[in-house]
Amino acid sequence: MSPLTTIVQDTDTGPVLHIAGELDYSTAAELRETVTGLALRPGQRLVLDLAHLGFCDSSGITAFIVARNHATAAQAEIALVAVPGPVLRILRVTGLDQVFSLEPGTDAQNGRTASG
Amino acid sequence: MCRTGPSPDPPEGGETTSTDAAFTALLEDSADELYESAPCGYLSTLMDGTIAKINTTLLTWLGRSREEVVGRMRFTDLLTVGGKIYHDTHFAPLLSMQGSVSGIALDIKKAEGGRLPVLLSSVTKNDSTGRPQLIRTTVFDASDRRAYERELLRERQVAEAARTQAEEDRERLQEALAVLQQSLLPAALPPVPGMEAASHYHTASPDRLGGDFYDLFPLDGKRWAFFLGDVCGKGPQAAAVTSLTRYTLRAAALHDPDPVAALTTLNTVLHERYAAGDPRYCTAIFGVLEQAGDTVKVELASGGHPPALVMRQDGSAEYLPTPGGLLVGILPSAPFTATTTELAAGDTLLLYTDGLTEARIGEERELFGDVALRDFAADLTHTAPHEVIEAMTGLLNSFGDGLDDDTALLALGVPTDRPDTGSDSPT
Repeated sequence: MSPLTTIVQDTDTGPVLHIAGELDYSTAAELRETVTGLALRPGQRLVLDLAHLGFCDSSGITAFIVARNHATAAQAEIALVAVPGPVLRILRVTGLDQVFSLEPGTDAQNGRTASG
Repeated sequence: MCRTGPSPDPPEGGETTSTDAAFTALLEDSADELYESAPCGYLSTLMDGTIAKINTTLLTWLGRSREEVVGRMRFTDLLTVGGKIYHDTHFAPLLSMQGSVSGIALDIKKAEGGRLPVLLSSVTKNDSTGRPQLIRTTVFDASDRRAYERELLRERQVAEAARTQAEEDRERLQEALAVLQQSLLPAALPPVPGMEAASHYHTASPDRLGGDFYDLFPLDGKRWAFFLGDVCGKGPQAAAVTSLTRYTLRAAALHDPDPVAALTTLNTVLHERYAAGDPRYCTAIFGVLEQAGDTVKVELASGGHPPALVMRQDGSAEYLPTPGGLLVGILPSAPFTATTTELAAGDTLLLYTDGLTEARIGEERELFGDVALRDFAADLTHTAPHEVIEAMTGLLNSFGDGLDDDTALLALGVPTDRPDTGSDSPT
Protein backbone atom coordinates (compact mmCIF):
# COMPACT_ATOMS: atom_id res chain seq x y z
CA MET A 1 0.00 0.00 0.00
CA SER A 2 1.41 3.34 -0.98
CA PRO A 3 1.37 6.31 1.38
CA LEU A 4 -0.01 9.64 0.29
CA THR A 5 2.00 12.01 -1.88
CA THR A 6 0.84 15.45 -2.95
CA ILE A 7 2.46 17.73 -5.49
CA VAL A 8 1.34 21.33 -5.86
CA GLN A 9 1.55 22.91 -9.27
CA ASP A 10 0.81 26.58 -9.84
CA THR A 11 -1.06 27.44 -13.02
CA ASP A 12 -2.60 30.60 -14.41
CA THR A 13 -6.03 29.62 -13.15
CA GLY A 14 -4.92 28.56 -9.70
CA PRO A 15 -3.15 25.73 -7.88
CA VAL A 16 -3.43 22.13 -9.06
CA LEU A 17 -2.90 19.55 -6.36
CA HIS A 18 -1.87 16.14 -7.70
CA ILE A 19 -2.86 13.56 -5.12
CA ALA A 20 -1.41 10.05 -5.32
CA GLY A 21 -1.59 7.06 -3.02
CA GLU A 22 -4.01 6.23 -0.24
CA LEU A 23 -6.35 8.67 1.39
CA ASP A 24 -7.59 7.24 4.67
CA TYR A 25 -7.81 8.07 8.36
CA SER A 26 -4.02 8.08 8.73
CA THR A 27 -3.23 10.28 5.72
CA ALA A 28 -6.27 12.56 5.37
CA ALA A 29 -4.97 15.01 7.99
CA GLU A 30 -1.87 15.52 5.86
CA LEU A 31 -3.96 16.43 2.82
CA ARG A 32 -6.13 18.76 4.90
CA GLU A 33 -3.02 20.54 6.10
CA THR A 34 -1.59 20.83 2.59
CA VAL A 35 -4.83 22.06 1.08
CA THR A 36 -5.60 24.67 3.76
CA GLY A 37 -2.05 25.98 3.36
CA LEU A 38 -2.66 26.82 -0.31
CA ALA A 39 -2.98 30.51 -1.12
CA LEU A 40 -6.09 31.19 -3.22
CA ARG A 41 -7.25 34.45 -4.74
CA PRO A 42 -10.86 35.31 -5.50
CA GLY A 43 -11.90 33.92 -8.88
CA GLN A 44 -9.14 31.30 -8.95
CA ARG A 45 -9.87 27.63 -9.23
CA LEU A 46 -8.40 24.95 -6.97
CA VAL A 47 -8.05 21.67 -8.84
CA LEU A 48 -7.61 18.34 -7.05
CA ASP A 49 -6.21 15.85 -9.52
CA LEU A 50 -7.22 12.38 -8.33
CA ALA A 51 -5.91 10.40 -11.31
CA HIS A 52 -3.45 8.51 -9.11
CA LEU A 53 -5.58 8.21 -6.00
CA GLY A 54 -5.56 4.50 -5.16
CA PHE A 55 -7.93 4.45 -2.21
CA CYS A 56 -10.23 6.94 -0.53
CA ASP A 57 -12.52 6.45 2.47
CA SER A 58 -14.81 8.84 4.34
CA SER A 59 -11.81 10.62 5.94
CA GLY A 60 -10.68 11.44 2.40
CA ILE A 61 -14.14 12.74 1.54
CA THR A 62 -13.92 14.99 4.60
CA ALA A 63 -10.58 16.30 3.31
CA PHE A 64 -12.28 17.20 -0.01
CA ILE A 65 -14.98 19.06 1.92
CA VAL A 66 -12.26 20.92 3.86
CA ALA A 67 -10.71 21.86 0.50
CA ARG A 68 -14.07 23.05 -0.75
CA ASN A 69 -14.63 25.16 2.38
CA HIS A 70 -11.13 26.61 2.00
CA ALA A 71 -11.84 27.55 -1.63
CA THR A 72 -15.27 28.97 -0.82
CA ALA A 73 -13.83 31.10 1.98
CA ALA A 74 -11.33 32.56 -0.52
CA GLN A 75 -14.12 33.14 -3.08
CA ALA A 76 -12.45 30.60 -5.30
CA GLU A 77 -13.88 27.56 -7.05
CA ILE A 78 -12.97 23.93 -6.71
CA ALA A 79 -12.93 21.04 -9.14
CA LEU A 80 -12.13 17.36 -8.83
CA VAL A 81 -10.39 15.99 -11.88
CA ALA A 82 -9.99 12.38 -13.06
CA VAL A 83 -12.06 10.97 -10.20
CA PRO A 84 -11.52 7.19 -9.95
CA GLY A 85 -14.64 4.99 -10.22
CA PRO A 86 -14.89 3.94 -6.56
CA VAL A 87 -14.52 7.55 -5.39
CA LEU A 88 -17.13 8.68 -7.90
CA ARG A 89 -19.50 6.06 -6.48
CA ILE A 90 -19.06 7.51 -2.96
CA LEU A 91 -19.56 11.06 -4.30
CA ARG A 92 -22.84 9.97 -5.95
CA VAL A 93 -24.20 8.20 -2.86
CA THR A 94 -23.37 11.17 -0.66
CA GLY A 95 -24.75 13.69 -3.15
CA LEU A 96 -21.38 15.40 -3.36
CA ASP A 97 -21.35 15.05 -7.15
CA GLN A 98 -23.65 18.10 -7.05
CA VAL A 99 -21.29 20.06 -4.82
CA PHE A 100 -18.01 19.53 -6.63
CA SER A 101 -17.37 20.33 -10.23
CA LEU A 102 -16.22 16.99 -11.67
CA GLU A 103 -14.07 16.84 -14.77
CA PRO A 104 -12.39 14.11 -16.75
CA GLY A 105 -8.64 14.14 -16.47
CA THR A 106 -6.37 15.07 -19.30
CA ASP A 107 -2.80 15.70 -18.42
CA ALA A 108 -2.48 18.31 -21.16
CA GLN A 109 -5.40 20.31 -19.79
CA ASN A 110 -3.84 20.42 -16.38
CA GLY A 111 -0.60 21.57 -17.89
CA ARG A 112 1.28 18.81 -16.17
CA THR A 113 4.93 18.75 -17.05
CA ALA A 114 7.83 16.55 -16.15
CA SER A 115 9.07 19.20 -13.78
CA GLY A 116 5.70 19.00 -11.98
CA MET B 1 46.17 -14.92 18.10
CA CYS B 2 45.69 -11.64 19.83
CA ARG B 3 48.03 -12.23 22.70
CA THR B 4 49.44 -9.07 24.22
CA GLY B 5 52.24 -8.74 26.67
CA PRO B 6 55.43 -10.87 26.57
CA SER B 7 55.81 -12.43 23.16
CA PRO B 8 56.52 -16.21 23.10
CA ASP B 9 59.22 -15.74 20.43
CA PRO B 10 61.04 -12.53 21.22
CA PRO B 11 62.15 -10.67 18.12
CA GLU B 12 63.92 -8.04 20.22
CA GLY B 13 65.35 -9.76 23.29
CA GLY B 14 66.31 -6.69 25.27
CA GLU B 15 62.87 -5.21 25.53
CA THR B 16 61.21 -8.49 26.51
CA THR B 17 63.71 -9.02 29.27
CA SER B 18 63.03 -5.63 30.76
CA THR B 19 59.24 -6.25 30.64
CA ASP B 20 59.68 -9.60 32.39
CA ALA B 21 61.84 -7.92 34.99
CA ALA B 22 59.15 -5.35 35.67
CA PHE B 23 56.55 -8.14 36.17
CA THR B 24 58.88 -10.10 38.37
CA ALA B 25 59.52 -7.08 40.55
CA LEU B 26 55.79 -6.62 40.94
CA LEU B 27 55.13 -10.29 41.61
CA GLU B 28 57.93 -10.70 44.18
CA ASP B 29 56.39 -7.96 46.14
CA SER B 30 52.86 -9.24 45.82
CA ALA B 31 52.12 -12.48 47.71
CA ASP B 32 51.63 -10.92 51.15
CA GLU B 33 50.69 -7.58 49.73
CA LEU B 34 48.00 -9.15 47.55
CA TYR B 35 46.64 -11.12 50.52
CA GLU B 36 46.51 -8.16 52.85
CA SER B 37 45.36 -5.47 50.43
CA ALA B 38 43.29 -7.53 47.99
CA PRO B 39 40.04 -5.92 46.79
CA CYS B 40 38.19 -8.61 48.78
CA GLY B 41 38.30 -9.90 52.33
CA TYR B 42 40.13 -13.16 53.18
CA LEU B 43 39.39 -15.23 56.22
CA SER B 44 40.65 -18.61 57.45
CA THR B 45 38.79 -20.32 60.25
CA LEU B 46 39.25 -23.53 62.20
CA MET B 47 36.52 -26.14 61.92
CA ASP B 48 34.90 -24.81 65.11
CA GLY B 49 34.67 -21.38 63.50
CA THR B 50 37.51 -19.70 65.35
CA ILE B 51 39.15 -17.11 63.15
CA ALA B 52 42.76 -18.09 62.51
CA LYS B 53 43.75 -15.58 59.87
CA ILE B 54 42.16 -12.47 58.40
CA ASN B 55 43.38 -9.88 55.89
CA THR B 56 43.67 -6.14 56.34
CA THR B 57 40.94 -5.39 53.83
CA LEU B 58 38.33 -7.29 55.83
CA LEU B 59 39.58 -5.86 59.15
CA THR B 60 39.19 -2.38 57.69
CA TRP B 61 35.62 -3.16 56.61
CA LEU B 62 34.84 -4.53 60.08
CA GLY B 63 36.56 -1.64 61.83
CA ARG B 64 38.45 -4.04 64.10
CA SER B 65 42.10 -4.78 64.94
CA ARG B 66 43.76 -8.10 64.24
CA GLU B 67 44.30 -8.69 67.96
CA GLU B 68 40.58 -8.33 68.67
CA VAL B 69 39.68 -10.91 66.11
CA VAL B 70 42.27 -13.63 65.57
CA GLY B 71 41.88 -16.49 68.05
CA ARG B 72 39.16 -14.57 69.89
CA MET B 73 36.20 -14.39 67.61
CA ARG B 74 34.35 -16.95 65.60
CA PHE B 75 33.17 -16.46 62.05
CA THR B 76 29.55 -16.34 63.17
CA ASP B 77 30.39 -13.51 65.61
CA LEU B 78 30.84 -11.35 62.52
CA LEU B 79 27.34 -12.07 61.25
CA THR B 80 24.02 -10.41 62.03
CA VAL B 81 21.39 -12.44 63.89
CA GLY B 82 19.64 -13.35 60.66
CA GLY B 83 23.00 -14.12 59.07
CA LYS B 84 23.86 -16.48 61.92
CA ILE B 85 20.65 -18.42 61.48
CA TYR B 86 21.20 -18.66 57.75
CA HIS B 87 24.79 -19.75 58.37
CA ASP B 88 23.78 -22.52 60.76
CA THR B 89 20.87 -23.81 58.69
CA HIS B 90 22.23 -23.48 55.16
CA PHE B 91 25.78 -22.27 54.82
CA ALA B 92 27.53 -24.66 57.22
CA PRO B 93 25.57 -27.81 56.21
CA LEU B 94 26.18 -27.10 52.52
CA LEU B 95 29.86 -26.51 53.12
CA SER B 96 30.32 -29.70 55.10
CA MET B 97 28.41 -31.64 52.48
CA GLN B 98 30.02 -30.20 49.33
CA GLY B 99 33.33 -28.89 50.63
CA SER B 100 32.55 -25.52 49.07
CA VAL B 101 29.84 -22.89 48.74
CA SER B 102 29.90 -19.78 46.65
CA GLY B 103 28.10 -16.51 46.18
CA ILE B 104 26.08 -16.55 49.40
CA ALA B 105 24.64 -13.14 50.24
CA LEU B 106 24.81 -12.21 53.93
CA ASP B 107 25.28 -9.14 56.09
CA ILE B 108 28.25 -8.73 58.40
CA LYS B 109 28.31 -6.44 61.44
CA LYS B 110 30.70 -3.55 61.69
CA ALA B 111 32.34 -2.79 65.05
CA GLU B 112 30.86 0.69 65.23
CA GLY B 113 27.39 -0.62 64.37
CA GLY B 114 25.82 -0.85 60.97
CA ARG B 115 26.14 -3.67 58.55
CA LEU B 116 27.85 -4.43 55.31
CA PRO B 117 26.17 -6.58 52.67
CA VAL B 118 28.65 -9.16 51.38
CA LEU B 119 28.93 -12.17 49.12
CA LEU B 120 30.69 -15.14 50.71
CA SER B 121 32.48 -18.06 49.11
CA SER B 122 34.12 -20.75 51.20
CA VAL B 123 36.13 -23.92 50.63
CA THR B 124 37.32 -26.44 53.19
CA LYS B 125 40.98 -27.47 53.18
CA ASN B 126 41.58 -31.12 54.04
CA ASP B 127 44.65 -32.75 55.54
CA SER B 128 46.42 -35.68 53.88
CA THR B 129 43.88 -38.15 55.35
CA GLY B 130 41.00 -36.17 53.88
CA ARG B 131 39.81 -34.73 57.17
CA PRO B 132 38.68 -31.13 56.97
CA GLN B 133 41.26 -28.93 58.55
CA LEU B 134 40.22 -25.36 58.02
CA ILE B 135 37.84 -23.19 56.04
CA ARG B 136 39.00 -20.49 53.65
CA THR B 137 36.52 -17.76 52.91
CA THR B 138 36.52 -14.82 50.52
CA VAL B 139 34.29 -11.87 51.34
CA PHE B 140 33.15 -9.47 48.60
CA ASP B 141 31.71 -6.08 49.38
CA ALA B 142 28.21 -6.29 47.86
CA SER B 143 26.89 -2.89 48.93
CA ASP B 144 26.94 -1.50 45.38
CA ARG B 145 25.40 -4.64 44.05
CA ARG B 146 22.76 -4.70 46.77
CA ALA B 147 21.95 -1.06 46.07
CA TYR B 148 21.70 -1.89 42.39
CA GLU B 149 19.39 -4.79 43.16
CA ARG B 150 17.26 -2.58 45.35
CA GLU B 151 17.12 -0.01 42.57
CA LEU B 152 16.09 -2.70 40.08
CA LEU B 153 13.42 -3.94 42.45
CA ARG B 154 12.20 -0.41 43.06
CA GLU B 155 12.04 0.30 39.32
CA ARG B 156 10.17 -2.92 38.77
CA GLN B 157 7.68 -2.00 41.45
CA VAL B 158 7.24 1.44 39.89
CA ALA B 159 6.75 -0.11 36.43
CA GLU B 160 4.27 -2.61 37.81
CA ALA B 161 2.34 0.10 39.60
CA ALA B 162 2.25 2.13 36.38
CA ARG B 163 1.03 -0.87 34.45
CA THR B 164 -1.68 -1.62 36.98
CA GLN B 165 -2.71 2.02 36.87
CA ALA B 166 -2.77 1.99 33.06
CA GLU B 167 -4.89 -1.17 33.04
CA GLU B 168 -7.32 0.35 35.51
CA ASP B 169 -7.50 3.56 33.48
CA ARG B 170 -8.10 1.61 30.32
CA GLU B 171 -10.86 -0.40 31.96
CA ARG B 172 -12.53 2.76 33.25
CA LEU B 173 -12.24 4.39 29.82
CA GLN B 174 -13.76 1.37 28.08
CA GLU B 175 -16.57 1.32 30.59
CA ALA B 176 -17.25 5.02 30.00
CA LEU B 177 -17.09 4.54 26.24
CA ALA B 178 -19.49 1.59 26.39
CA VAL B 179 -21.97 3.61 28.45
CA LEU B 180 -21.68 6.56 26.08
CA GLN B 181 -22.08 4.31 23.05
CA GLN B 182 -25.21 2.77 24.54
CA SER B 183 -26.63 6.23 25.15
CA LEU B 184 -26.44 6.84 21.41
CA LEU B 185 -28.69 3.89 20.64
CA PRO B 186 -32.11 2.88 21.97
CA ALA B 187 -31.79 0.37 24.81
CA ALA B 188 -34.49 -1.73 23.11
CA LEU B 189 -36.72 -1.13 20.12
CA PRO B 190 -40.28 -0.31 21.16
CA PRO B 191 -43.04 -2.67 20.01
CA VAL B 192 -44.82 -1.24 16.97
CA PRO B 193 -48.39 -2.53 16.52
CA GLY B 194 -48.77 -4.58 13.38
CA MET B 195 -45.05 -4.57 12.71
CA GLU B 196 -41.87 -6.23 13.77
CA ALA B 197 -38.56 -4.43 14.24
CA ALA B 198 -35.04 -5.74 14.82
CA SER B 199 -31.62 -4.15 14.93
CA HIS B 200 -27.94 -4.89 15.30
CA TYR B 201 -24.89 -2.77 16.03
CA HIS B 202 -21.44 -4.02 15.14
CA THR B 203 -18.65 -2.22 17.02
CA ALA B 204 -15.36 -2.25 15.13
CA SER B 205 -13.24 -1.28 18.13
CA PRO B 206 -14.09 -1.08 21.84
CA ASP B 207 -11.56 1.77 22.15
CA ARG B 208 -13.16 4.08 19.63
CA LEU B 209 -16.71 5.31 19.73
CA GLY B 210 -18.46 4.64 16.49
CA GLY B 211 -20.59 7.20 14.75
CA ASP B 212 -23.45 5.00 13.56
CA PHE B 213 -26.88 5.52 15.05
CA TYR B 214 -30.53 4.49 14.67
CA ASP B 215 -33.81 4.98 16.47
CA LEU B 216 -37.49 4.03 16.31
CA PHE B 217 -40.14 5.96 18.24
CA PRO B 218 -43.86 6.83 18.19
CA LEU B 219 -45.04 10.13 16.67
CA ASP B 220 -48.71 9.87 17.55
CA GLY B 221 -51.33 7.16 17.88
CA LYS B 222 -50.94 6.04 14.27
CA ARG B 223 -47.48 6.90 13.09
CA TRP B 224 -43.96 5.88 13.98
CA ALA B 225 -40.71 7.50 12.98
CA PHE B 226 -37.36 5.80 12.40
CA PHE B 227 -33.92 6.90 11.38
CA LEU B 228 -30.49 5.40 10.81
CA GLY B 229 -27.29 7.15 9.89
CA ASP B 230 -23.55 7.50 10.11
CA VAL B 231 -21.60 10.46 11.46
CA CYS B 232 -18.24 11.11 9.81
CA GLY B 233 -15.23 10.23 11.89
CA LYS B 234 -14.94 8.36 15.14
CA GLY B 235 -14.21 8.99 18.78
CA PRO B 236 -15.65 11.48 21.26
CA GLN B 237 -16.09 14.29 18.70
CA ALA B 238 -18.10 12.00 16.42
CA ALA B 239 -20.13 10.79 19.42
CA ALA B 240 -21.00 14.39 20.28
CA VAL B 241 -22.31 14.89 16.73
CA THR B 242 -24.21 11.60 16.95
CA SER B 243 -25.86 12.71 20.17
CA LEU B 244 -26.79 16.10 18.69
CA THR B 245 -28.10 14.38 15.55
CA ARG B 246 -30.23 11.90 17.42
CA TYR B 247 -31.95 14.44 19.66
CA THR B 248 -32.37 16.94 16.84
CA LEU B 249 -34.10 14.35 14.65
CA ARG B 250 -36.35 13.24 17.49
CA ALA B 251 -37.39 16.79 18.31
CA ALA B 252 -37.73 17.76 14.63
CA ALA B 253 -39.97 14.73 13.98
CA LEU B 254 -42.38 15.73 16.72
CA HIS B 255 -42.56 19.23 15.30
CA ASP B 256 -42.94 18.22 11.64
CA PRO B 257 -42.73 14.53 10.77
CA ASP B 258 -42.22 15.12 7.06
CA PRO B 259 -38.93 13.29 6.33
CA VAL B 260 -37.42 16.07 4.20
CA ALA B 261 -38.37 18.65 6.84
CA ALA B 262 -36.72 16.59 9.60
CA LEU B 263 -33.47 16.22 7.63
CA THR B 264 -33.55 19.92 6.72
CA THR B 265 -33.80 20.86 10.40
CA LEU B 266 -30.88 18.55 11.17
CA ASN B 267 -28.88 20.09 8.32
CA THR B 268 -29.43 23.59 9.70
CA VAL B 269 -28.44 22.54 13.22
CA LEU B 270 -25.29 20.67 12.19
CA HIS B 271 -24.17 23.35 9.74
CA GLU B 272 -24.60 26.13 12.28
CA ARG B 273 -22.86 24.18 14.99
CA TYR B 274 -19.91 23.00 12.89
CA ALA B 275 -19.68 25.56 10.08
CA ALA B 276 -16.33 26.88 11.27
CA GLY B 277 -13.27 24.66 11.46
CA ASP B 278 -13.49 20.91 11.51
CA PRO B 279 -16.37 19.87 9.24
CA ARG B 280 -18.79 17.48 10.94
CA TYR B 281 -21.57 15.93 8.97
CA CYS B 282 -23.60 12.75 8.72
CA THR B 283 -25.50 10.63 6.29
CA ALA B 284 -29.00 9.64 7.35
CA ILE B 285 -32.26 8.09 6.28
CA PHE B 286 -35.30 9.36 8.13
CA GLY B 287 -38.72 7.84 7.64
CA VAL B 288 -42.27 7.56 8.92
CA LEU B 289 -44.39 4.38 9.14
CA GLU B 290 -48.17 4.49 8.98
CA GLN B 291 -50.47 1.51 9.04
CA ALA B 292 -52.98 1.49 6.15
CA GLY B 293 -55.22 -1.55 6.33
CA ASP B 294 -53.12 -4.68 5.94
CA THR B 295 -50.06 -2.83 4.74
CA VAL B 296 -47.71 -0.26 6.18
CA LYS B 297 -46.98 2.88 4.24
CA VAL B 298 -43.36 4.05 4.41
CA GLU B 299 -42.31 7.60 3.62
CA LEU B 300 -38.60 8.26 3.84
CA ALA B 301 -35.89 10.69 2.80
CA SER B 302 -32.15 10.28 2.50
CA GLY B 303 -29.29 12.67 2.97
CA GLY B 304 -26.23 11.12 1.35
CA HIS B 305 -27.02 7.70 2.78
CA PRO B 306 -26.83 4.36 0.91
CA PRO B 307 -30.31 3.36 -0.32
CA ALA B 308 -32.60 1.22 1.84
CA LEU B 309 -33.23 -2.36 0.74
CA VAL B 310 -36.72 -3.80 0.47
CA MET B 311 -37.16 -7.57 0.71
CA ARG B 312 -40.51 -8.81 -0.50
CA GLN B 313 -42.26 -11.94 0.59
CA ASP B 314 -41.89 -13.35 -2.94
CA GLY B 315 -38.12 -13.48 -2.44
CA SER B 316 -37.18 -10.42 -4.45
CA ALA B 317 -34.93 -7.70 -3.06
CA GLU B 318 -34.69 -4.21 -4.49
CA TYR B 319 -33.11 -0.95 -3.42
CA LEU B 320 -35.30 2.01 -2.74
CA PRO B 321 -33.28 4.64 -4.58
CA THR B 322 -32.96 8.13 -3.14
CA PRO B 323 -30.47 9.77 -5.50
CA GLY B 324 -29.35 13.34 -5.04
CA GLY B 325 -29.78 13.56 -1.29
CA LEU B 326 -26.75 15.37 0.11
CA LEU B 327 -24.64 14.74 3.18
CA VAL B 328 -26.31 16.44 6.13
CA GLY B 329 -24.50 19.46 7.55
CA ILE B 330 -21.98 20.52 4.91
CA LEU B 331 -23.99 23.26 3.15
CA PRO B 332 -26.31 25.91 4.63
CA SER B 333 -29.18 24.43 2.64
CA ALA B 334 -29.13 20.98 1.14
CA PRO B 335 -31.33 18.88 -1.13
CA PHE B 336 -32.83 15.70 0.33
CA THR B 337 -34.55 13.05 -1.73
CA ALA B 338 -37.85 11.53 -0.61
CA THR B 339 -39.50 8.31 -1.70
CA THR B 340 -42.30 6.04 -0.57
CA THR B 341 -43.09 2.35 -0.53
CA GLU B 342 -45.61 -0.02 1.01
CA LEU B 343 -44.82 -3.05 3.07
CA ALA B 344 -47.25 -5.95 2.87
CA ALA B 345 -47.23 -9.03 5.07
CA GLY B 346 -43.82 -10.70 4.81
CA ASP B 347 -42.06 -7.62 3.44
CA THR B 348 -39.11 -6.11 5.28
CA LEU B 349 -37.29 -2.81 4.90
CA LEU B 350 -33.57 -2.96 5.77
CA LEU B 351 -31.54 0.14 6.65
CA TYR B 352 -27.79 -0.24 7.02
CA THR B 353 -24.66 1.85 7.24
CA ASP B 354 -21.85 1.55 4.72
CA GLY B 355 -19.72 -0.65 6.99
CA LEU B 356 -21.74 -3.46 5.41
CA THR B 357 -21.25 -2.57 1.75
CA GLU B 358 -17.72 -1.19 2.17
CA ALA B 359 -16.44 -4.40 3.80
CA ARG B 360 -13.48 -5.99 2.02
CA ILE B 361 -13.74 -9.58 0.92
CA GLY B 362 -11.45 -12.24 -0.44
CA GLU B 363 -7.74 -12.17 -1.04
CA GLU B 364 -8.01 -9.17 -3.35
CA ARG B 365 -9.83 -7.32 -0.59
CA GLU B 366 -12.50 -6.21 -3.00
CA LEU B 367 -15.52 -4.20 -1.91
CA PHE B 368 -18.46 -6.36 -0.88
CA GLY B 369 -20.63 -3.76 -2.61
CA ASP B 370 -24.32 -3.11 -3.11
CA VAL B 371 -24.88 -5.72 -5.82
CA ALA B 372 -23.60 -8.51 -3.55
CA LEU B 373 -25.76 -7.20 -0.72
CA ARG B 374 -28.89 -7.27 -2.88
CA ASP B 375 -28.06 -10.78 -4.09
CA PHE B 376 -27.47 -11.95 -0.53
CA ALA B 377 -30.82 -10.47 0.52
CA ALA B 378 -32.63 -12.04 -2.44
CA ASP B 379 -31.25 -15.45 -1.45
CA LEU B 380 -32.74 -15.25 2.04
CA THR B 381 -35.65 -17.63 2.44
CA HIS B 382 -36.83 -16.09 5.69
CA THR B 383 -37.37 -12.37 5.60
CA ALA B 384 -38.98 -11.57 8.95
CA PRO B 385 -36.98 -8.66 10.45
CA HIS B 386 -35.31 -10.71 13.19
CA GLU B 387 -34.38 -13.35 10.61
CA VAL B 388 -32.94 -10.72 8.28
CA ILE B 389 -30.90 -9.21 11.12
CA GLU B 390 -29.71 -12.67 12.11
CA ALA B 391 -28.59 -13.42 8.55
CA MET B 392 -26.95 -10.00 8.14
CA THR B 393 -25.13 -10.38 11.47
CA GLY B 394 -23.82 -13.72 10.23
CA LEU B 395 -22.71 -12.00 7.03
CA LEU B 396 -20.89 -9.27 8.99
CA ASN B 397 -19.15 -11.89 11.11
CA SER B 398 -18.08 -13.76 7.99
CA PHE B 399 -16.17 -10.66 6.82
CA GLY B 400 -13.69 -11.09 9.68
CA ASP B 401 -11.04 -8.38 9.52
CA GLY B 402 -12.43 -7.24 6.17
CA LEU B 403 -14.96 -5.32 8.24
CA ASP B 404 -13.12 -2.49 9.98
CA ASP B 405 -15.97 -0.01 10.40
CA ASP B 406 -18.89 0.19 12.76
CA THR B 407 -22.09 -1.04 11.17
CA ALA B 408 -25.68 -0.41 12.19
CA LEU B 409 -28.63 -2.46 10.89
CA LEU B 410 -32.33 -1.75 11.35
CA ALA B 411 -35.02 -4.00 9.86
CA LEU B 412 -38.70 -3.06 9.85
CA GLY B 413 -41.28 -5.49 8.54
CA VAL B 414 -44.87 -6.67 8.55
CA PRO B 415 -45.31 -10.13 10.05
CA THR B 416 -46.72 -12.74 7.72
CA ASP B 417 -49.71 -15.04 8.30
CA ARG B 418 -50.29 -13.66 11.72
CA PRO B 419 -52.93 -11.48 13.25
CA ASP B 420 -51.81 -7.91 12.64
CA THR B 421 -51.54 -7.16 16.33
CA GLY B 422 -47.79 -7.38 16.50
CA SER B 423 -48.01 -10.42 18.76
CA ASP B 424 -44.49 -11.27 17.64
CA SER B 425 -43.07 -8.19 19.32
CA PRO B 426 -42.46 -8.01 23.04
CA THR B 427 -45.06 -5.85 24.72
